[in-house]
Order: sequence, then structure tokens, then C-alpha cells
Amino acid sequence: MLRETYALTVRELKHWYRIKVQILMTLVQPIVWLGLFGQAFNFSNLFSSFLPPGTPLPPMNGILGGAPDYFSYLAIGMLGVITLFTCMFGGFSLVWDRRFGFLTKLRVAPIPRGSVPVSRISSTMVRALSQAAIVFLIALAFNYIPGLVGLTLGVNFDFFDLLGLFLALALLALGFAGVFIAIALTIENQETLMAVVNLLNLPIMFASAALFPIAGMPEWLQTVAKYNPLTWAVDAARVFVFQNPNPIHPVWWSLTALALFALLMIGVSIFVARKKLSAN
Amino acid sequence: MAAIIEVRDLVKVFDKTIRAVDGVSFDVQEGEIFGFLGPNGAGKSTTINMLVTLLKPTSGSALVMGHDVMKEADVVRHIIGLVPQDLTVDDDLSGRENMMLQADLYNVPKKDAKERIDNLLGLVKLEDSADRMVKTYSGGMRKRLELAEGLIHRPKILFLDEPTLGLDIQTRTTMWEHIRDLKEKHDMTVFMTTHYLDEADSLCDRIGIIDHGKIMAMDSPATLKKSLGGDVIQMSIDGSVDFTSILGAVPNVIEAKREGSEYRVKVLKGEREMVQVLKAVSDGGGQVTNVSLQRPNLDQVFLEYTGKSLRDAEQMGSMDKGARMAQARQNRRRR
Repeated sequence: MLRETYALTVRELKHWYRIKVQILMTLVQPIVWLGLFGQAFNFSNLFSSFLPPGTPLPPMNGILGGAPDYFSYLAIGMLGVITLFTCMFGGFSLVWDRRFGFLTKLRVAPIPRGSVPVSRISSTMVRALSQAAIVFLIALAFNYIPGLVGLTLGVNFDFFDLLGLFLALALLALGFAGVFIAIALTIENQETLMAVVNLLNLPIMFASAALFPIAGMPEWLQTVAKYNPLTWAVDAARVFVFQNPNPIHPVWWSLTALALFALLMIGVSIFVARKKLSAN
Repeated sequence: MAAIIEVRDLVKVFDKTIRAVDGVSFDVQEGEIFGFLGPNGAGKSTTINMLVTLLKPTSGSALVMGHDVMKEADVVRHIIGLVPQDLTVDDDLSGRENMMLQADLYNVPKKDAKERIDNLLGLVKLEDSADRMVKTYSGGMRKRLELAEGLIHRPKILFLDEPTLGLDIQTRTTMWEHIRDLKEKHDMTVFMTTHYLDEADSLCDRIGIIDHGKIMAMDSPATLKKSLGGDVIQMSIDGSVDFTSILGAVPNVIEAKREGSEYRVKVLKGEREMVQVLKAVSDGGGQVTNVSLQRPNLDQVFLEYTGKSLRDAEQMGSMDKGARMAQARQNRRRR
């Protein structure tokens, strides 16, 4: 069980890091978001431009999940979004493998059907975390570029907070990878899969606390956002990074919910694989 | 010799109406090269896919070394190796990495894996390109790598689905040598499908001719050829007069068949009787415009049992329209 899952995970990762352009491409979008949107959409400047010069601004961190400015808020949200994006593409390798017959080889091999989704989920998680780590470093590096706002960490940010941040992202990656791989196993047509994935992607991203504080959202959207796994991950992440005293959910609650979500989705993907990859 | 594969009344129905395999029964003996011969869409690949646990039979049974392909799929998967029709090697890995992955999938002991991989890559003459990415390989090299992969766990039975499809003559010949080698040196049973008659003739100990999902004939190529009972004189005669009875009356002629102006005359010792046959036609007032003598070969066997030459069958599409559409759907699903 472990050997073939490990071997298949390594295969997926080899595909990934051998195609350098692919890594670059998945990073371009969050960097553009952070570099343009994150810089342009600056709450503090927006408010102070309406006030008489010299008026002190109330601190922003109350509505920004403990973050001192919107850029810092968005940077952490972006780590969740990049995880979502990576997982969303995680299912597409299955389509190619079906097309080029590699899946046939896996289907005739004496391996548990579940090793196919599990290996893809684990490789997707590794990819998501490495890309999130790169984006995290870039957001920090923005501090040293004149004219740009960078990510400001909470004063007490330490190694365990860093671990907590990546634990939340890892659980999120496992869950979302499970979702998209189960979908890719079910929908065999590439175009349909693309449409479905796109359809899911935007609502998950916008109906969450990743890009905007949910306090400003209408009631119904807030309810949706509160139960979006992406919100759980970025909400917990902001507790770790900014010591946010008023998270949407307590951090233990978010992490537990994420862990259950991950387990459930891994289970679903194994179940679907057993149905779809056995003799038919 | 004992039966290593036992197939009984195997049926596969696609989309509730299309009987791609229609009640097929046969045994494959241990150590033989068994060939399934038939036009595209005759049911060869469907049968092989049921035997290798990819497709679920609609009814009937298939046992591989006594293990049911459905109920004991994992046992069967350990016993068999498959070289599928499509190339399934991973382009973005090197040849050696592909082999290592295969070894991991079949749980080949790690300490044996390296040596086996070297041996197999040597066997298919890929040792020099083993560390290159497969995307730089030619079609023939990929196919050879595919063959080596299918052997990594030392299967008792190797399934080859159209092993030489799309390969050039030279590569085909090398492939044949590899397959013969496997049988002789490694005592392996080989089950292959092909729609090349010469391939079946030169490689297989026994062949089954399959068409419309049914087995039309099964025996050794030599016996099948002998069953034709002689040579065939093929000729065209001008005019609409039926010469079959005149031809049938010539001594040593076993049978004469007419199809328009084309006649197939089955005759013993063809080269000697040809003169008599031609004489009979001209005595009867016929004008022979074309004549050829054919020694028995598998093409004629095929013609004999399916009523059409393999090439014709290919062109017409051996299946009715519905079956072809189902096949196309099946293929598209794979794309």
C-alpha cells in the first residue's frame, strides 16, 4: 500500500518540478494579485484620503483579522487561495493519464484502487505547500522593495506559529485535493471538468475570508463564508500570523473542522476511485 | 500441458445492445503462444480486457490459473503482465524510472529490482537510452520499453494487445524475436491479439479467428491451412455464364465458388491442375481474364471462415454500425 502510493507520489512530483514553467505559472497569479491588487487596494490610504490631513486613523486590525494593513491581510488569504488553485489543477493530471493510457497501467496493476487518488492528494499537498511557502517569502520580501507594502507579521510570531500556519494550509490542501480529484475521477471529459472546476473555484474563493473580511458581507454570504473550508484555513492562519484576538472561529475549531474535511474528502476520493477504476 | 486460461461462454454487451463478445469459449495451454486474429472491432481487445481485469464480463467466466478474473482480480493481476495497445509509458520519466515505478507497483523486492531492470532493458536493447526521457524515444523504443515493463514481475502469462501495430517492418521483426525468446527462454505463456496474418502465422502455436464477437475457428496455423484442403485458383471469367458446375467437374477440384465474375477454385496440386481448369473454361466458351494460384495461407483461412478477406473486413468495418459507434464511444472515453 505504502510503496506504490509513495512511488506514484514521487512520479507526480517529478512531473511537477521537471516542468519549471508550470511552477512559475502557478506563482504568477498570486504574485500579480499581491503586487497589484494588494498594493492598490489599501484601506488605510483610502480612508485617510477622505479625512482632513493629520487626522489619526483608527487601527485597522480590528476588521482585518488582526492584520495591520490590507496587504498583510490579503497576503495570508492568498496562501489559502494558492492552495485552492493548486488543488484545482491537481485533478487534471488524471485526465492526461487516462488519455495517454497510463491509468490503464495502474488499473491492471495489483494495487489498491485508493492508492491512485491518495498519491495524487499527497503530491498536490506538497506542491501547494511549496508554492505557498514561496508566496509567503515573496510577501515578506516586499518589505524591502521601496514603494511597496509588505507582509507585516505579528510581534510575537514564532516558529510554532509558522508550523500552525502550514498545518492549516496542509489540511486545506488535503481536503480540496480530495474534492477535485474525486471530481476528476468522475468527470472524464476534459472540457466538462474544466467548466465544473471553474464553476466551483470562484465561489469558493469569493465566499470566504481569503480576500475580504466577512464583516462587510451580507448576512447570507457571511453564513456561507463561515462554513467554507477556505475561511477556516485563512482564519486560523491569521490567528497564528497576527495573533488575531477575534477570529471567526476559535483556532482549535477551525483546525478540527479542516482535519475532518480532509479525512472526509480523502475518503470520498478513495470511494470514487474504487468505483471508477475497477473493471466496468 | 494444462490449460492456463479457461474461458467459458464469455459475453460482453456494451450499452445493453451491442454484443462485442458473443459467447466465446476457449482454453490457452501453458507455454504456448496463442493468437487472437480478427479485423478491427471483432472483439479481440474486448476479450483481452476482460481477461486482464479491465472490463467486467456481462456473463460467462474466465479463469487464469484457476482464478476468476472478477472475484480474484488481484491474484490474477499478479500472475499476468499486459502490454496494452496504446503506449502507456510515462513520457516525462526516463526509461529506467518507468521501470522502477513498475517495479514499485508490482512490489518487486527492492534488492532484485535494479538487477531485473538492467536485464530487461538489455533484453529489449534499451540499455544505452535507459536514462533518457521517454519523450525522446521513437515509437519502436517505447513499445520495447512497454514490453520490458510488462515483464518486471515475471508474469506467468503475458498479454500483448496488437504488439506491433504501427511499427515499421524492421521493428516488427525485432519484436517477434523478443516474443519468441520469451516463450523459449522464460517458459512464458503468451496471449496476443493481432490483425496481421503473417504475424499470427509466424509466431503463434495456435490461433483463434474471431469475428463479430464469435470464434470462427481455432487451431494451429498449419492445421488451419491444411483444412483448406488444397491450393486455390483464383480467376476472373468474362461474361455472365455460371462456370461453377463446369469447374467442379474438373478432376481434383474440390470446390468451386463464384462471386460475380470472380471464381475461387479449391484444388489439389494446384500447379498441375491449373492447365486443366483453364482448359475447361475455354472449352465451355469462357474467357479467362485473370488467374492466380494461391498456396494455402492464413488469409485464405480467414476468408474461408469469415467469408471475407481480412482487408475487406477492415475496410467495411467488421461490425455493424451500432457496434462501431459503441467502440468509438469507448475509445473517446479513453481519450
